[in-house]
Amino acid sequence: MEKILIIEDDLAIAKELKELLQNNGYLAVILTNFNNALEEILKENPNLILLDIKIPYISGELLLQELRKKSDTPVIMVTSDNQETKEALAISYGADDYITKPYNPNILLLRIGAVLRRTKVGFGNNHLLIYKDLKFDVARGIIKKDNKTLTLTKNEIIIFTYLLNHQNKIVSRDELMTTLWDNDEYINENALTVNISRLRSKLKEIGYENAINTRKKIGYILL
Amino acid sequence: MKFSKYLKDNLYEILIFLISYGIILLIFFAFKIDKAIIIAISFILLIYFLLITLIPYFRKRKFYTDLLNNIASLDKGYLVLETLTKPEFYEGELLYQALYEINKSMNELVKTLENHLQDFKDYIEMWIHEVKIPLATLRLINNNHKKLFDKKTKKQLKRIEDYVEQVLYYARSENAEKDYLIKEIELSKVIKNVSLKNMDDLLENKISLIIEKIDIKVLTDAKWLEFILGQIINNSIKYKRNIKNSYIKISINDEKDRTTLIIEDNGIGIKESDLKQVFDKSFTGENGRNGNYSTGMGLYIAKNMCEKLGHKIDILSKEKEYTKVLIIFAKNKYYDVLK
Repeated sequence: MEKILIIEDDLAIAKELKELLQNNGYLAVILTNFNNALEEILKENPNLILLDIKIPYISGELLLQELRKKSDTPVIMVTSDNQETKEALAISYGADDYITKPYNPNILLLRIGAVLRRTKVGFGNNHLLIYKDLKFDVARGIIKKDNKTLTLTKNEIIIFTYLLNHQNKIVSRDELMTTLWDNDEYINENALTVNISRLRSKLKEIGYENAINTRKKIGYILL
Repeated sequence: MKFSKYLKDNLYEILIFLISYGIILLIFFAFKIDKAIIIAISFILLIYFLLITLIPYFRKRKFYTDLLNNIASLDKGYLVLETLTKPEFYEGELLYQALYEINKSMNELVKTLENHLQDFKDYIEMWIHEVKIPLATLRLINNNHKKLFDKKTKKQLKRIEDYVEQVLYYARSENAEKDYLIKEIELSKVIKNVSLKNMDDLLENKISLIIEKIDIKVLTDAKWLEFILGQIINNSIKYKRNIKNSYIKISINDEKDRTTLIIEDNGIGIKESDLKQVFDKSFTGENGRNGNYSTGMGLYIAKNMCEKLGHKIDILSKEKEYTKVLIIFAKNKYYDVLK
């Protein structure tokens, strides 16, 4: 499980953030001792850090600079300051992304996923996903089973990849929609329904009729 | 400085001189003084009169003419003292000193007001950053506890966020200070961010978002442009028509010296008589009065920001048919050379 360190002085938001991350399969830890922030970070050794700019004792920017001298841990700056100059500065200090409050939680999760994938050693091991005895080539959109192949459309690829990455967890329509729009597919509610049912019938062709279940009013789950 | 007016101003001196001269003449005649002496003395008096009238005139003329001309030619008239040399006659010195004092006290007042304004702006910015924290927390709570909160709270939350953003950018765009950073930005990325931000509203209102292939970079501040586009898209959502195939179409027109971003909708449109005023402060117009929440600030701020960034913004519309907003980005040849 990937460990995410939350560096945020507002306890209410930190707690909710922790819950969000845990609900989405991450191990989330809140930094409590701001006095020795740098040592605490190195001790926790997280896979990713969510760093607020306004924290006690030291500014987030300064902490980032200090951290970069010792570690390459990916950092996403999370702040309520939405000035372009601040963002440019943070990126130049070595931040991997910059997100402004208030953010859409789904988008935050997408950005976290993107940064983790980008910084993972051996980039590209995500290109071949496995579902039971199916091999899914994400880049080409092809599902293989023995010698049968299925070709997915771009929207189906996005949906299936997301479901696969969140296997056995309920995925809301909202999350799927955000992911699609984030990939420049600005489709509407009906089109999402159509795409899901097409994906279902394609999976049915190779013997996985009930792979995608509908959870009424909540979303879908890939079993 | 007009000579005739100067003479008129010295009327009493002239009259006193003439009366004195008349009395002197009368005395001369009474004592039957020789005509040649009278003429000689009269001549001396005339020269004396001319000198005491003309010398002060010429001494003062340069200072006052410069003062008036410079005030007229400067676009910031209050800087006139900087352009003048200190006069060498007493009245001029007094005036110069008075102007200097007035200037100084006015500068102090302006400075105090500027400080107040800056303090106020700083406070507003700080307050906005503070209020964003509970808003962000609410967003997360909303997401984590979907059973407690429904889409309606999310929608109201978005409205609060939008209003907060509006105040922030109003404070920033009204201020003379430079709060933006212009660099080369992938236009499609800004459009994506705005779309994601408004996704819920677009889906709920069943408005299709059609984004044509936009593969171009423009010189702008990404955050500012995001806000500007947000205002435009918000309007398109607010003023949609009750038809089945509502859409917002975003496209570009790339020309040699400029790029035009076009945001078109098939909403209720804008009355021709209102069209010219939509960028005016607090203008709500016919559409704003028809039961929609309208502050009349969105497009005003958007235009203000466009001007600061050096973009042009224009609006075309036909009632009950369409509204088209154009944002024109100039291409900077100097920048291309630097690259």
